[in-house]
Amino acid sequence: MIVINNSGLRRVLRITVPFVIIPLTVFLGTFIVPQKSYLFVSFAVTVMALILFISGFDRKKTGSRRLVISSVMTALCIIGRFIPVFKPITALTVITGIHIGGESGFLVGALAALISNFFSGQGPWTPFQMLAWGLIGLFAGLLSPFLKRSRWIIVAYGTVTGMIFSLIMDVWTVLWGGGFSAELYLAAVVAAIPHTVVYSLSNMIFLIILSKPFGEKLERIKLKYGV
Amino acid sequence: MRTFKDSNPIAVTLYFLFVTGITMFLFDPILNGISFLGALIFSLVCGDGRDNKKHLLCLVLFVATALINPLVSHNGVTVLFFINDNPITLESLLYGCSNAFMLVSVLYWFSCFSCLMDSDKLLYVFGSFSPKAALVFSMALRYIPLFGDRSKKIRATQKTMGLYKDGNILDMIRGRVREFSIMTTWALEKGIITADSMSARGYGQGRRTRFTNFRFYLCDVILLILSSVLAVFVIMSAVKHDFVFYPAIVAPKMSLISVIGYVSYGVLVLIPTINEWKEEIRWRYLRSKI
Amino acid sequence: MEILKVEDLRFAYPGEKTDTLDKISFSVDAGEFICLCGPTGCGKSTLLRLLKKELQPRGDIRGRILFNDKDISEDEYDTSSAIGFVMQSPDEQIVTDTVWHELAFGLENIGMKREKIALKIAEIASYFGISSWYDKKVSELSGGQKQILNLAAVMVMSPDVLILDEPTSQLDPIAASDFIATVKKLNREFSLTVIITEHRLEDVIPISDRVMVLKQGEILCFGDPDDVVSKIRETSDLISAMPSAVQLYHAVGGKGKCPLDVRDGRNFIEKNFLPSSVSLPTDKYIHADDVALEMNKVFFRYSKQMPDVLDLMSLKVYSGETYFILGSNGSGKTTALGIASGIYTPYSGKVKVFGKNVRDYKNNSLYKNCLAYLPQDVETVFLENTVGEELKDAMEEARELPFDVDRLLSKHPYDLSGGEKQLVALAKVLSQKPQILLLDEPTKGIDAASKRRLAEIIKALKNRGITVVAVTHDVDFAAMTADRCGMFFRGRIVSENTTREFFSDNDFYTTAVNRMTRDYYSMAVTVSDCAELCMKNIREEGTVK
Repeated sequence: MIVINNSGLRRVLRITVPFVIIPLTVFLGTFIVPQKSYLFVSFAVTVMALILFISGFDRKKTGSRRLVISSVMTALCIIGRFIPVFKPITALTVITGIHIGGESGFLVGALAALISNFFSGQGPWTPFQMLAWGLIGLFAGLLSPFLKRSRWIIVAYGTVTGMIFSLIMDVWTVLWGGGFSAELYLAAVVAAIPHTVVYSLSNMIFLIILSKPFGEKLERIKLKYGV
Repeated sequence: MRTFKDSNPIAVTLYFLFVTGITMFLFDPILNGISFLGALIFSLVCGDGRDNKKHLLCLVLFVATALINPLVSHNGVTVLFFINDNPITLESLLYGCSNAFMLVSVLYWFSCFSCLMDSDKLLYVFGSFSPKAALVFSMALRYIPLFGDRSKKIRATQKTMGLYKDGNILDMIRGRVREFSIMTTWALEKGIITADSMSARGYGQGRRTRFTNFRFYLCDVILLILSSVLAVFVIMSAVKHDFVFYPAIVAPKMSLISVIGYVSYGVLVLIPTINEWKEEIRWRYLRSKI
Repeated sequence: MEILKVEDLRFAYPGEKTDTLDKISFSVDAGEFICLCGPTGCGKSTLLRLLKKELQPRGDIRGRILFNDKDISEDEYDTSSAIGFVMQSPDEQIVTDTVWHELAFGLENIGMKREKIALKIAEIASYFGISSWYDKKVSELSGGQKQILNLAAVMVMSPDVLILDEPTSQLDPIAASDFIATVKKLNREFSLTVIITEHRLEDVIPISDRVMVLKQGEILCFGDPDDVVSKIRETSDLISAMPSAVQLYHAVGGKGKCPLDVRDGRNFIEKNFLPSSVSLPTDKYIHADDVALEMNKVFFRYSKQMPDVLDLMSLKVYSGETYFILGSNGSGKTTALGIASGIYTPYSGKVKVFGKNVRDYKNNSLYKNCLAYLPQDVETVFLENTVGEELKDAMEEARELPFDVDRLLSKHPYDLSGGEKQLVALAKVLSQKPQILLLDEPTKGIDAASKRRLAEIIKALKNRGITVVAVTHDVDFAAMTADRCGMFFRGRIVSENTTREFFSDNDFYTTAVNRMTRDYYSMAVTVSDCAELCMKNIREEGTVK
């Protein structure tokens, strides 16, 4: 690979991107170029954060079994749209994060977003969705001891993060629609209410139905094959 | 003889980042207009231009974005008319239009991009950041048709075991959940075989290399250099002048620098189209000789 | 030269008191073709996996395994490319989504340089004749092609030893023979050492240099094929997996050199038995008056753009009959069964079950006390986490089947062997109390003993008056089980007859025994038919008395 096969270069990037390039982009975008640059800044920062997270995981060695489980869960996210309108991406990402770990959660969320957009259309929103879903999975992994206590905590986590996800995506919509303003944002949120409701509801339903059996299945696999 | 389509995917990706980045980064109606035209032409050339639904969607989006700004923002000095005592100004209408151009052209560029990039190419670009994520991506793509196939089999079997009643929606949903559950167990249990097959072929033994079918040829390097030089021209010239909408529209004076900027951007957005045309002509010429 | 040496190997799975493998010692020379056989549960797979360091099961391993005189358990000894391993299921072994990536995968893992990978892939793709697949998605390949790809993806790492764990058990006979032929070619042309286990030994035993028989974790015998197969007389579980010629040899109490393939088998018969034109007495074919399943001029296609899968298909199966539909892969047999069971609806033609149109069975009444369907992939039947929960409503049926179900109750359905899985699924399906049972490829992935058991179950079901319709490409199983057989080709049944007539009329699509006795005996289809005829025509100067 020509681009970043060099591990030294990789390391340099890993340090410069979060500490130099991202702040610089924000600074340049907000203070030097006068108009509209938050659009570009938000896009650039998202892409860089995404790259950073994903390549950060690459340092750790992951066993083949964990990798397979991640890919299985990613594929299930796409295949699992068995009930029209409802998508299980959030639910499965959360479940993966809790049982297999934050890293897998991030990968499943991010890749499921990417692949699902192959079917529903790629756009400038793809990186945002990837980052958002990835983070939902990552945090599910980090909070897993707490989340594992009860199914209802998991359901609450999935629903709340799903709502936050929607609200953030509305910010993004407004940014693209011609500059941020409180009225516009409110309008966007109101306009998106049906979508947000369906989305939260589907997260809730999927988590209620799936969290227990999927948890059992994943735990069995972990036990049987020592993942 | 390589068309833009066959160029190295990393060069193509960077090209798209330059073009859309400039459209997003520099808020200049003329640049947005150029970007839009370039995207539209290329989308017609590269084949996904026949998708009328897409054009319609973009049109609706364009009108909506163009109109929402003057309705919300009442800046500007040239009042056109009033709606509910709120002034609708020319400036904010034009601002909205410019913004709509930006949005729609980015959408067109993205649709061209996804039309050019298949999963192999995306894997190649992806893999440069993270071989691991790229592998999971490739494996997931392998699993999707496999699981799709299986879910058909499961549905068939469960149907003969009396899972579904005729025309009962709740029953259907319950059935689907059951199918999904069977599929998950199947996928996870059999997935271990995949994991074994990976280990058996040395996965996790040491540092992986990455094999790809793509190379950097001279023309890819030329594409890369050309597009970055043009992008730098555009940015340098655009930072020099500002297009001001509020309170009144002040278009920057045309200078040599700004003309260079616009021309450079025009060339930049037309690179893929020109490339396709060039190959088309060359091929025809060649064919007449054969 | 000795390439692999196993010294006093013992192995026990965690938490199990008895050793799965006990006192295993043997050595393999470079370039040998070794066939490993034994009944299910004898420890074949465990032994193979122990030889491959990356796949060693967890548990207590004692003894030494030397590869090129070096203990493979040493930490720094990397045998991942030197020992290749191909497993059963074609689908699950494939890791990535495209053929080229799959071929490159192993080489990427060992950190080979890009240019070299390109060369290696070019070589292997040309050798295996799969260059035209290079850009294909793996999901577009057939089962046999997938398994060849798996083999190629292992061979690209240029292993010295190739281990194959039942590689053809999921393939149809044609694809299976192709696969074995490829392995043989690799063995002969590169003096690649091969260690293989198989359910169907018909193709493997004749080309093996040595055969090892395992029984309950111990080596029963290890030596030349004709020597070994003549020794295993007493263990009948093993016999049924052997080539038909071997089975015949044992059935007639043969002495001396044991025939391994059809050609040898024919010689053996000619040498020891006289020809005869008198065939075995056959029962006259009689059938019940009522028709259990009828398909009348059925047409079907999956979508408008696709070609017809069923094309003027007609079929009549009488009540209480066992009917087998035979045909090659992808000819639409499974679809025909799908139509009969109401999964798909034909666009033209009538399907009747017990005289009533399938469409008129409302609200699942077709699947209650009427018709049941056992799919090819029995996993699609399972819903629960234990066999006990799975069989909650089917215990009665399960107890009637010839296996020890109680031992399995607490296990996960996926932890069972192929044969056990199938019986559990069958019990579950039988709890629908069907009058017609449809079976799709019932012998796929199960061993010879399970096959024999399945044949008996089908006979028992027939005695209870249940109609059985099965599709299969396993001619031996059909010959053993069916009342009538139909040949399925290009969307319809092209010929049908009672089993014995059906196979004696066919020249190519018939059992090995029938090919062995062609123009020598008439209508000998199964080993027992042939043995019976042989024993009536013993040649005085032969070795069999």
